[in-house]
Amino acid sequence: MTTPAISPPQAPQELKTDRRALLIGAAAALAGVAVVPFVRRMTHDRASVFVARNQRYDGPLERTIRDGLVATGLDPAELRGRRVLLKPNLVEPIRSCPQMTTHPAVVVAAAEVFRGWGAEVTVGEGPGHMRDTELALDESGLQDALDRVKLPFADLNYSELGWIKNAGRASSLAGFHFPRQVVEADLIVSMPKMKTHHWVGYTGALKNLYGVIPGIKYGWPKNVLHYAGIPESIFDINASLPRTVAIVDGIVAMEGDGPIMGSAKPMGLLVIGTNNTAVDATLGRIMGFEPTRIGYLQLAADRLGPIDESYIDQRGERWQNVASPFRIIDAPQLRGLRAAGVLVT
Amino acid sequence: MDDLETVLARLAATRVCGYHPDSPAAAEPTALVALALLAHGRDSAAQRHVDRLLALRGPDGSVGIERAEEKPGWPTGLAVLAWRAAQKSSIFDVAYVSAIDHALGWILETQGTLPEHVDFQGRDTTVRGWPWAAGTYSWVEPTAMNLLALKHFRYAAHSRAREAVLLLVNRLLDRGGCNYGNTVVFGQTLRPHLQPTGICLLALAGEEDTTGRIGRSVDYLNRELSENTASASLSYGLLGLAAHGAYPRRAGDWLQAAAHRTLARDPSSYKLALLALSALGSECPLISRVQCLKPQDAAGREPT
Repeated sequence: MTTPAISPPQAPQELKTDRRALLIGAAAALAGVAVVPFVRRMTHDRASVFVARNQRYDGPLERTIRDGLVATGLDPAELRGRRVLLKPNLVEPIRSCPQMTTHPAVVVAAAEVFRGWGAEVTVGEGPGHMRDTELALDESGLQDALDRVKLPFADLNYSELGWIKNAGRASSLAGFHFPRQVVEADLIVSMPKMKTHHWVGYTGALKNLYGVIPGIKYGWPKNVLHYAGIPESIFDINASLPRTVAIVDGIVAMEGDGPIMGSAKPMGLLVIGTNNTAVDATLGRIMGFEPTRIGYLQLAADRLGPIDESYIDQRGERWQNVASPFRIIDAPQLRGLRAAGVLVT
Repeated sequence: MDDLETVLARLAATRVCGYHPDSPAAAEPTALVALALLAHGRDSAAQRHVDRLLALRGPDGSVGIERAEEKPGWPTGLAVLAWRAAQKSSIFDVAYVSAIDHALGWILETQGTLPEHVDFQGRDTTVRGWPWAAGTYSWVEPTAMNLLALKHFRYAAHSRAREAVLLLVNRLLDRGGCNYGNTVVFGQTLRPHLQPTGICLLALAGEEDTTGRIGRSVDYLNRELSENTASASLSYGLLGLAAHGAYPRRAGDWLQAAAHRTLARDPSSYKLALLALSALGSECPLISRVQCLKPQDAAGREPT
């Protein structure tokens, strides 16, 4: 559960830049790291999204992920020796609600794909509702999986900080304090769970990157961002990050009162793409939402990527073949987000 | 806890107190390490950490999260408690006294913003505690940390302390336990979490409670804590129980299991300090001895 910006947005007083943070950013830039974020202007650019059905956590996920990334334009040769940060969603894990968090099998499969391409892979997350990251890793089952395949984990809530200017400017935030692992990554892989979200409709690749924001600076929950406006800060974070791609765990998804209290909805899907805006637009269509009515997608449309269906090339399954409207709660902020004719709970 | 001496030796040798072995030094772990070493009589080893907290102060008296990050100042309450412990030890220094005065002034002046009341959220939006970052709402853990500091300095009856108690009791779930600070949203009661429940109960030691939520929160921790619980949650959970006279008999075994895991996997000074403090049970200096005050806001309202 997140808390929205109920009061008018105002600039938090404590997010000022400090000299050391700037130095970290400058040092990284000198080292040739892609720290200068940019708003990808893609007004007339197309993007591809790969949808795979009949997926299982004990199935050949590596093959699906590898096929999906290549089919949507990722060049494996570019990744040799590069730093790849996998960002699953571990907002508030608890064993009794596995539909809330990205399944460890998907994380491990993605890691093996990137390792196979010669990348240096780290898994990183800054749980939004829990300060005890060890507990989050235990409850999600991710710690066991990481140990098994010897994958390093970065606790993004408590890492060394770098400061990056807000390249989106939809909110009043001047910039973001990102963890060093985020600033230094050559590629960030957003690995959300396919879930409804009781404030913004649904949460996918773009919203999942809230989790790279460090709690030590922004709080638990990351209330500074709520004050700045949820759609606006989602857009700004994504506009300010290094290159991102998405692998969405929709094998067992969440519907109803997401992103925390919803119920399981088995979908058997992996949704993959090299443009997170296009991935989220496709995700929304599968879930029964109208992407043009989702606040953060309105902001991202044609600036971070296309949401217009005619600009998104479908790979794998057509979304129409796997669409299955997700139940959502009957709340005012959600009523206008659905495609026509879909019931709410 | 069989590994206590190993844990204390590690802490005494620590120069950089971070959340993880490879993390940068940060104020909260530094304060906890200082508190743990002082509580176990390692005064001279604690001194560098107590002094380091002095260096983390901003001009307003608050203690920032780390050396290069003057804001936010949410660790200030813990720093005050570390200075207090130093003040009562062999490493007493007058600098700690003035740092405490300045920091307490900052704590009393700082408060969370008030959200607008909305029907779909179960919390009382009219009471103020402390935020993580300035200009945002009050949340459970920073409120509990600052309340603890006030109670240890005879500010237990101060209106800010009474209002903080009101807020914390309000944020406890009816069935017991709390999370970061939300209770019911869109008709659904949210899940409790161990660490905030432990810190909350620690801060609520000796408080009167007509709602029964404190007792049910003690029950929640008693049900959920085990030898498998992660170190920080276990430590705070046990301290919360100790603060209410309910420190479990098996706590030593659970702490030993957690210490063994932590030493093997992630021997951060943050976790080791929490384990060492928790091993003290009811003798932990974080537990306030103030008894039975009434939670109320400035208008005299009691918990709902």
